[in-house]
Formats: sequence, structure tokens, C-alpha cells
Amino acid sequence: MAGAAKLSPTLQALIDKGLFERLPATFSTFFFEQIQEWETLFPAERSYHERLFSLIDQSDPAAVEKLFEPLRRIEQLMGVNEKNWPRRHFTLDQVDFLNRSAHYPEWRRAISDIFARIDPLLEQEMARKGSARLAVVIAPAELPVSPDRMWLRIRQHGKRIPLQPPDDVADYLPLLLSGAPRKDGAQTISARYALAKEPYAAWSLEAGSGLSDLGASGALVALSYERLHDYRTRLTSEVMRILKAEDIRGPRQLLAKLKELRILASEGDVGRDPVLAEFTRATLLSGNGTLLINNTFVEWSTMQAVRRARPSVTVVSFGIRNKIKPFTSMLIYADQDKSSPIPTQMDTLGTYVDLEIFYQYIWQEFEKYAEYRHNTAYLFVGEGMDELLAIAPPDFPLLTAKQPVPLTQVFGTMKDWLRL
Amino acid sequence: MLALTKRRFLQLAGLSIAHRILPARLWAGAARLPQASRKVIIVTFGGGVRYSETFAPEGLRNIPRLVEMKPNGSFFKSCTNAGVLSHYNSTGSILTGNWQRVDDFGFQPPATPTIFEYYRKQTGAGPMDAWAIATNKSFSLIGSGADRSLGQPYGANVVLPKQLLLEAVEGVVKNNADAGVANRENVLRHLESILSEGYEGVGWTIFKAGGQLNRTVRDTLTHALVEYINGPEAPSSGDELTFFIAREVMREFAPRLMLVNFWDMDVAHWGSYSLYLQAITKTDRLTGMLWDEIQSNPNYKDRTTLLILPELGRDGDINAANGFLNHRSGDPSCRNMWLLAMGAGVAPGEIERPVFHVDVAATTAELLGFKAHEITGRPIQEILS
Repeated sequence: MAGAAKLSPTLQALIDKGLFERLPATFSTFFFEQIQEWETLFPAERSYHERLFSLIDQSDPAAVEKLFEPLRRIEQLMGVNEKNWPRRHFTLDQVDFLNRSAHYPEWRRAISDIFARIDPLLEQEMARKGSARLAVVIAPAELPVSPDRMWLRIRQHGKRIPLQPPDDVADYLPLLLSGAPRKDGAQTISARYALAKEPYAAWSLEAGSGLSDLGASGALVALSYERLHDYRTRLTSEVMRILKAEDIRGPRQLLAKLKELRILASEGDVGRDPVLAEFTRATLLSGNGTLLINNTFVEWSTMQAVRRARPSVTVVSFGIRNKIKPFTSMLIYADQDKSSPIPTQMDTLGTYVDLEIFYQYIWQEFEKYAEYRHNTAYLFVGEGMDELLAIAPPDFPLLTAKQPVPLTQVFGTMKDWLRL
Repeated sequence: MLALTKRRFLQLAGLSIAHRILPARLWAGAARLPQASRKVIIVTFGGGVRYSETFAPEGLRNIPRLVEMKPNGSFFKSCTNAGVLSHYNSTGSILTGNWQRVDDFGFQPPATPTIFEYYRKQTGAGPMDAWAIATNKSFSLIGSGADRSLGQPYGANVVLPKQLLLEAVEGVVKNNADAGVANRENVLRHLESILSEGYEGVGWTIFKAGGQLNRTVRDTLTHALVEYINGPEAPSSGDELTFFIAREVMREFAPRLMLVNFWDMDVAHWGSYSLYLQAITKTDRLTGMLWDEIQSNPNYKDRTTLLILPELGRDGDINAANGFLNHRSGDPSCRNMWLLAMGAGVAPGEIERPVFHVDVAATTAELLGFKAHEITGRPIQEILS
């Protein structure tokens, strides 16, 4: 685990000059703990922390004091002191302390108000450096609905673009993402971008292995629920063992217990990169069903990638969730196939309902950050469908399409948009 | 098959529980008390559900039974949970009338006395007159608070059907029995076996009131299990078993004060919106069936107030960490709920005046004629009048 010595010189200097000590404890301790994990933070996170604390350091001290005054007052009401809130150690006890405090809602409001003042200042810089970005979100071919029943929660923000799907549905994704039929084995848009740009700039997140099968460059971050099978199995059995053997109060406690259960290199390519290994572990053990349901993994890992790594190109591919078998839903950390001899069945209608809300959550998450606003083309695609939904800036060329567009042309438009 | 199973159960129960006896004095005292007429059942429509999936216009399709019941009850449009947004603390606040801030996962009892304790101590009600039947398997300490002047001797019987089911299903899987959990009989055999061996092992508290009654308790619970397993629909959830046990307890013991805690909709944490919606509809159906039982059971009809409310909501779709999956953000969709009061003396209508979760305890105290001391909640006059 990274230690303070490996911190960036900028942040180390700010710590040494006592900046963190001058800020309210509940604010500074959380960030202090975060930056102790420096080696497993993405470049975007490192940059954010440096910019945040440099901004606070360089601001007028009176303005900083005024900004944090409401939080200080609430901390007093909450009874935060050196004993229950050691300055440099943020633990689960402190999370519980906050959650159980009668002043927790006020505390949340105060924190939110602080960031409402700080974020616009930090975002100005990001917006100035803005470049074109792309997110492609793919629904599986098995969904039992036509395009007119797709993307209902977000379609008012975009335009449905008519497409010319290929005769062979197996070529649909290759044509869309690489501009060539499957047999050509051409590089996908995300793989091309990953090769051309900085690390962690392009991500591919999927339930199955359809995207991975199209080939990938080493620079592309590729996470597949299916291909993480061995790691998931190991995590699951370890979770089950701990739950049986110990009194675990909740997901946070479980996550802390499993801190060292990193993915092995033999369990997936991401195991070779410590940042991605930790990202994968944390995503699978977040307590949000990511171990259990393929599409939950895809959704949550996308949300986390956007929050933490801010990729420029993100390709997200959902799958079909299986039906939950009678009784086996009780055994959430057991292998459903082994627990019941009832054949596994796909839940296509349930998946459709699940994904409709996930499209909204994913799009919203991107749009929370200045890096994506006004310069990101979002393409919501249903494999095999003759329409896609585009939410994009007005100058995104596909928005003017009147006739059905071939998938190769969609690919070309994406490539030009990213200036590849 | 059913009769044989029951007979076997009774035999086993007789052998294994004869020594676990409540002091006869307690039970005898309770038995002499006259039975008052009014009863209260609190249903936590639970596991966390938002207004938008229930009584908001777009949510009505998920709750057809509640929609059907609502015109006959008092519907409080705003019932706020101002406390900690965990299931245990939220339910504890409903049962104590004070905002609870204890361990979120049930490792501590509520900090202040529950209505079960006040009710039993002040009225002399017997141990079979107060029950908490909870799907949430961490609720084993919810039946009484930490106050030593009251506490467990006056608390509710606590039954955790899902924990029982979980143990049984695990047993079937572990033993690799023929057809596994697909064979309902396998599951039933394990359920019975766990009951026979001692339900305390699955976190339950049932006050013992003499061997004969204790046998009746077991008989009652087993009957519920048999009905559950052999029901017309494939049984699958903890809430269904909670309903069957609650109904059986009502038929056998007719308690005056009961909590029925549904929890299946917390499946939302898995990240499947469709499973969450299915759970809401199932809870709606089970709540409707509970109301049907009240209407058809002479011990309850026209003398029961049914109070239905979600113990908490879930995060909103906008600006939250992950929307419906969680329930900790504290935004309005987590806190702003509704309350539907049905039954004896409740005037139909919609009430705009905001009420709070802690008001449920104060209202229950008034309905059943006992005093709940030093509580934050206030009686809801619209229900009492």
C-alpha cells in the first residue's frame, strides 16, 4: 500500500505547511486518508486532489475561513473532537459517527455547499482544456422490444438516428465499433484511442465478452464481468467464509476485511496494473450487487470509472440478466447453478426494465463533470436495431442525418469526432 | 403428508422443548386479565421504497391493493423519517417513538423502550400478546429496548422467518439432497428440523409459557411453514413466509399488538430495478392479504387499526450516488414517505398535515390505552378521532 512518502510533492508540501490541520476535521481527514492511497489513484484523481488543495491554499485565508465556518459550527454541534476524530485516520467508526449523528443532514448540506462553491472554480480549468469525448452504451440483441420502446427516460435529450443494420447481426458491433466486418479484425474505436492517448483514457466495460472478442490493445482498460469469473468466484467464496465465521455488520465492514484480496494476474489482465486491480476489487465488493448481477457490475464500474478516471472514450455493453431461481435468492453468495438444478433462464423483460434506468444513471453521471458537458457524444445503441439514440452537442454530424445511416458511417463520424 | 409432518413435529417438539418453560406465574397472571377489544398491527411496507414507485401517479400500478384500500383509510401524504436511514434504526424509531441512533445492523437493542414493553407492563398483557415478525434477519433485538426497568421480560416475541428459511435452504444445498431446493419437501423438512432443534439458534425470541403452549407455538409456526411451502405459487421470498407466520399467529394467538416487517424490496441493493418493482408488488399483495385476514378473522374485524408505512425510502434518481440502489443520501426521496391507516374507527380521507415515523408509537399507545413516557412522537389525532 502506498505511504505518505510517495505522495506528490505538491500535496506533501501542503501537508508539511499544515494546511490539512487548519481545515475542519471531517473534511480534511477524509481527503488525507484518500491521498494515502496515492499509488492506486487514477491520474484524474491525483490531479483533482492537487488542484483542490492548491486552490484552498492559494485563496484568501479570510474567504477560506468563511467557506468552512458552517462546517466548523456543525462539527461542534456533533461533538467532533480529537478523541472521536483523530486527524489523520479516517475509519469506519467515523462513518458510523456521521451516519448516526442527529446533525448528519446539516453536515451533508454544509459539505455540499462547500463543493458548490469550490467545484465551479476547479471546473473552469477543466472546461478550458475540454476536448471531444465519446460514450457508447450498447444494449444486448435479445431485448424483446423495438427502438420505439427504448431509452424512454432520456430520449427527450437526444435524437433517434435511423440506421442501416447489416444482414448478419454478428457484424453489427464490429461495423459500429471498428468500421469493418468481424472477419477483418479491425481495431475498435476505443482501442485506437487508447493507443493514441494517455493511460486510462479509453475504457471498455461489458457483461459478456463481445467487446473483448473484437480485440484490444494493451492500453485499453477492458473489464468484463464474464472474464472476471475466476476472481468473482474467489471473492464470493471468501465473502461467504467471512460471513459464516464472523459477525460482519455491513458492506463497509466487509469491504475493509477484504482489502487485501486483490485480483491475481492469472485472473485477468487488470491484475497486472495496481490501479486497475484495486479499482476492480473495490467495484466488486461495493455491496451494490456487482458480484451477483452482470449488469449491475457494468453500471457501477462505469459510474466509478467516470467518477474516478474520467475516460475520454467509454464503451459500455450490457448483457441479459438471468432469472433468480426460487429460494436461491436467499443464498446471495452461493453459485446459483450449483444451488438449484432448475435450468438457468434469461430474464429478457426484467433486463429491459433494469437497463432503462441504468441508461439514465450513466448519462447523468457523465454530465455531472465539466470534462463531459458540452463536448461529449453519447450513442445509445441496441445491438441489431435500426435506430440509435444520440445525445450530443449540436455540431455532432450524426444529428443531421435524414436517411438511415450505415454503421460504417457511424464509426467514421465517431473517429472524426475524436480526431483519430 | 401434511398431517404426518405435523404429527412428527409435535412429537419432536414435545421431547425437545419441555424444559424451556416461562415462569408459570407470568403466564398465569396474563391469562387472568380481561381481553380488551382494540388491536394494532403495524406493517412496515419495507426494505425501502420511494414515493415514485408507490403513491406517486407513476407508481400506482405497482401497488394495486393499496390503491384499492386507500379510499377506506386515512392516507397521510407526508410521513417523514427524520432519523438514521438504516432499516433497523428506522424501524426502531417507529416502535419506540424516539429517533434511534444505535448500531445500524441490529447489534444493539433500541436505546429507549418499545411500545411492546410499555403495553405489556402497563396492561399486564401476556407474552403471546405482542409479536414482531420480521423478514429482516438482523432484527433479533427489535422486540425490546435497552432500558433495564422494562426490557426483554416485557418485550415482543420476535420471529425472523427469513433467517429460518435461509438456514433451511443452506441445509438443503449443503446436503445436496435430491433435486435440491427445487423440491419443496426438501426445504420443508429442513425448516421443520431447525424448528425442532431450537429456533433460538436463528435469532428468534419466543417467550415460553409452559410446555403445552410452547408446543402450540411450534405447531402454529409449522402450520405456517406447510402453507407457505405448499402454497399455490412457488414460494421464494422471505416476505411470503413472514406473511404466513403473521397470519398463523393472528389465528392462533390473536395478539393485540404486532409488527409485521416486510423487507424483500431491499433487493434493490442488487441493482435490478425490475426485481425491486416485483418486490413492491409482492409486498402490496401480502399487505392486502393481511388486510383480508383482518376483515375475515372475528378476533380482528372491526377492532383493529392497521398502520402501513415504509420505514424509509431510497435515494433519488438525480444527484445521488446510485439512485434506487441505496437509501442513505438523506435526500427527500429517502425521508418523505406516506402512512395509510385502516380499520377500526379510522375515518376515510387524505390528510395534508405532515406526520412523523415516531408518531406511530404515540398513536399506538393511545389506541391501546397505555402511556409511552418521554417520547418524541405525538399521537396522530386524525387516527384517534
